[in-house]
Amino acid sequence: MIQHIALKEFYNNLVSVRFTVGFILCLFLIPFILFVSIYDYKSQVQAYEVDKQRAEERDQVRVYSAYRPDIVKKPEPLGIFCKGINFNVGNRVRIWFGVKPLLASGDSSARENPHLNAFLTIDFVSILAILMSLLAILFTYDACSGERETGTFKLLLSNSIERYKILLGKILGVILTLLPVLLICYVLSILIMVLFGIASFSWHDFLRIGLLFGLSVVFFLLFIALGIFISSRTQSSVTSVIVCLFIWATVVFVVPNLSVYFAQSFVKVRSQENLESSLSELNREFYKKYEEISNELENPDIWFMHFNHNGGADGYRELAGTADKTYEYYRQLNIHTVPLGIENADKKWAIQKAYFDELEQQRHTAEWLALLSPSEVFRLAASALCRTDVDSHLRFLDRTRQYREELIQFFQDEKIFDSFQYFTRVPPEKFRSADEIIEITTNGKLKSRDEYQTWAQNRSDIFSIFAAQLPEPERRNDYYETLDLSNVPKFQYKPNRILDDLKHSLSKIAAMFILSVLLFYLAFISFIRYDVR
Amino acid sequence: MILNIMIREIQHNLLSLRLQIAFILSIVIFSLGSIAFIKSHADNVAEYKRYHNDFIENMREDAEENLTQMAINSRQLIMAPRGSNFIDDAKERYTPNRFYFSAYNIFGYDVNPGSTNPFLNAFQELNWIFIVSVIISFTVLLFTFDTVSGEKEHKTLAISLANSLSRGNLLFGKYLSVILTTLLILLPGLCLSLIIILLSGSVAIHFNLILEIAGFLLAAIILTACIAAFGLLASVLTYSARTSLLYALCFWLLFISFMPNTAVFWASTIFPIEKGESVEERIRREQEDINNNAPPGSWSSSGGNPFLPQHELRANNQTNLMNARVSITKAYYNTRFQQFERVKLLTFLSPVSLYSYLNESIVGGGYPRFQKVWNDLHGYQAQLLQFFKEKDANDPDSPHWYNPYEDYSTTRKPAKFEEVPIFEEKPLSFPERFKYAGLYLLVLVLYTAGIFILAFVRFLKYDVR
Repeated sequence: MIQHIALKEFYNNLVSVRFTVGFILCLFLIPFILFVSIYDYKSQVQAYEVDKQRAEERDQVRVYSAYRPDIVKKPEPLGIFCKGINFNVGNRVRIWFGVKPLLASGDSSARENPHLNAFLTIDFVSILAILMSLLAILFTYDACSGERETGTFKLLLSNSIERYKILLGKILGVILTLLPVLLICYVLSILIMVLFGIASFSWHDFLRIGLLFGLSVVFFLLFIALGIFISSRTQSSVTSVIVCLFIWATVVFVVPNLSVYFAQSFVKVRSQENLESSLSELNREFYKKYEEISNELENPDIWFMHFNHNGGADGYRELAGTADKTYEYYRQLNIHTVPLGIENADKKWAIQKAYFDELEQQRHTAEWLALLSPSEVFRLAASALCRTDVDSHLRFLDRTRQYREELIQFFQDEKIFDSFQYFTRVPPEKFRSADEIIEITTNGKLKSRDEYQTWAQNRSDIFSIFAAQLPEPERRNDYYETLDLSNVPKFQYKPNRILDDLKHSLSKIAAMFILSVLLFYLAFISFIRYDVR
Repeated sequence: MILNIMIREIQHNLLSLRLQIAFILSIVIFSLGSIAFIKSHADNVAEYKRYHNDFIENMREDAEENLTQMAINSRQLIMAPRGSNFIDDAKERYTPNRFYFSAYNIFGYDVNPGSTNPFLNAFQELNWIFIVSVIISFTVLLFTFDTVSGEKEHKTLAISLANSLSRGNLLFGKYLSVILTTLLILLPGLCLSLIIILLSGSVAIHFNLILEIAGFLLAAIILTACIAAFGLLASVLTYSARTSLLYALCFWLLFISFMPNTAVFWASTIFPIEKGESVEERIRREQEDINNNAPPGSWSSSGGNPFLPQHELRANNQTNLMNARVSITKAYYNTRFQQFERVKLLTFLSPVSLYSYLNESIVGGGYPRFQKVWNDLHGYQAQLLQFFKEKDANDPDSPHWYNPYEDYSTTRKPAKFEEVPIFEEKPLSFPERFKYAGLYLLVLVLYTAGIFILAFVRFLKYDVR
């Protein structure tokens, strides 16, 4: 009997205007939104390629102190379904010893014009949440009250059929009508992605899409349960639809905004200016100590011709063409100041972490408040499945910090910080004393520094004695190939397994499911007592 | 007769469940929004005061030590929190709100990353405009979707028209009654919100604020009229209230969610602009050309001797480099402005978008405010440069070779900070606001009239049997 009722409901629904309108709306909106997301994804991929190429160019260094690799995060193809925080956060992290990476920099967004931030964006999951919840409500709000109004309820119950079977049949009828629509939305979206050449999905990704579909079904069942419950509590279908629609608008449009607004208003996060000024304070202390150390060390005169010197106290230095004592001076300076710089980064991290915790606290508050809205729960769980949620991003950032530690460890193990190679490509055997340099660069006209100083006294053309070109090109950095960094640890990042990603969402999804079952149960109780007259 | 219909309709609406729910929802959101505003506004004001004090102190230190440093140092100007945010925040936290300038140039602008938490989704504040564009517009549709089709189903439409009553009067009466009923929902919440905010002392009442509130109310009434016209249209398009409801919901979804939220896509496909990186590349190439063609000695310097002849070359070179950057970025920024303005025109199809543009103009926030600050800042920069040049002219130790980036060849004397011009943001005057608002107002009114006429024409042919 249940089957008969379900089929009758299904046929009735199929020929109804609401089905036609809903179906057309889905067929029109879902592919369009998907097309927009694919367009954004492709722009992200283009930006990624450019950034990646730049990062590779940056890795072509001649000294170790210049090695500050840029980690560029690959755009997430599943982000086409749910953009999550993809467009809020950067995609690039620079690894260096002066600071631990806190947030990603760079612009992962396809948005070139910041004025366009005045417009919000929408993705597949959001539009699905809006449409499927609305359709679920529109197909259920008159399940009981509508039949009562048209008088068909009495006719139905005059047969020898239990009430619960009628309700079950109705629920199945709605599911039978709308589940294929949901399925079509997913199939259509995968087809569109294949059509646009987004074919980089692994079977893991397909499993994630399958789970996303399952999640959509749970979300959709909740709204069916809500519609049936409200319908079973009201005598008129107008009352039922009004109550349903207000609840729908509140949970889909008001609560998501309310949760974030409240979190931002009531959980305070220090300003970035405040953070920057605290970090600058620590940097000033570091530079002060750096200066003290450099003053304490025996400081040779370092003003020679054909002398290349780039960099400074932040750790990067590229030096060539100078005298052996100068090289040694900088080596000693590095031995004393590089650990100080790393220590300073740890001190700065304590402040950065406090800021980061405040951001996180704000986010957790927003997520707690968002539990009031099933559509937000659905969106959050979907972004976890699509690896575009905050936790996935934070894992990536954690990994970059770990990588920085690995790199420091490697440099320490290999004694690179203490080596000449840290700041010059010129091999130590090619180093010359100041006197030798004077002799070579003046083509033998002067023999020593003292001679040069005597010659240069009271002259204005103090550089005129030097050769225009360096006679010994092997004393320049650019004479040498870039460093072979094949033994340096490379950044590797393995995204989480599905279960790990779902760990935080499972309780929320379960809560959504339990709420659906509870609403169905309450609907059954109400329906059994429903006055059909 | 219209009056009778209106009174009947309003009485009917007053007793309806939809009014009760909408009323409660509106009161709750108005109150919650106001409380959250009070807290966040107080924090924002305190934060801004700290920032502004640092800004002033920084400038004072520079001016009282070395005027050239004051002129060449790049400074950040952040827009102050606006008191009328509780009416409409105009998404200022997401749009350009930070400017970079020195006495020589306005370098650019961006969005202060500190104004948002990157781990949170972009959201709309629960301010008055949110309540009107989401809750009120939704309520209006729920009030109107069955105005005609519902009455037809109950057969009361045929009875009503059996009296000596024109269809026009009937429709217009119903239409006006919906607008008045909506005001009954909106006004108590609005007054409550205003009382909460004023009692908290976070915003002081002043003439401009009263005008802004009046403007907001006017815009809200026009939006209500427009959405009500759409609701009536949905109602007269069909003979069944259920189908009307579907149409009404489709309109609402398109206006609220679909049209405004796809604007970025339209902007990048229909009105593409050059990528920022390519602009930077052009600047780099042009600057490279300038450097290559610069006379020898253009990079020579001596910190101890301002009159070193090469300093003049250096100053000229740096000025040329700056001018190259200014001319390219200025043109680029203009394309940004144009893109944004054009894509706004596209979203004119959504009355809710039109309403939000109208409101941001009324409260003097958002894009109009940005444009005002941008233009005023240019005026201020010219004034600051003029001040610096006057001081420099009086210094015999300066060779007066203006170098926009370096402290080599202009006055190093201090100045009294009180004499230094300071930038103060002036709110948009009401004629300026009207310059922006006029177009939106006109389009929204025409739109409303057009949809109402469409509904009216359809109603004239409506089969009431």
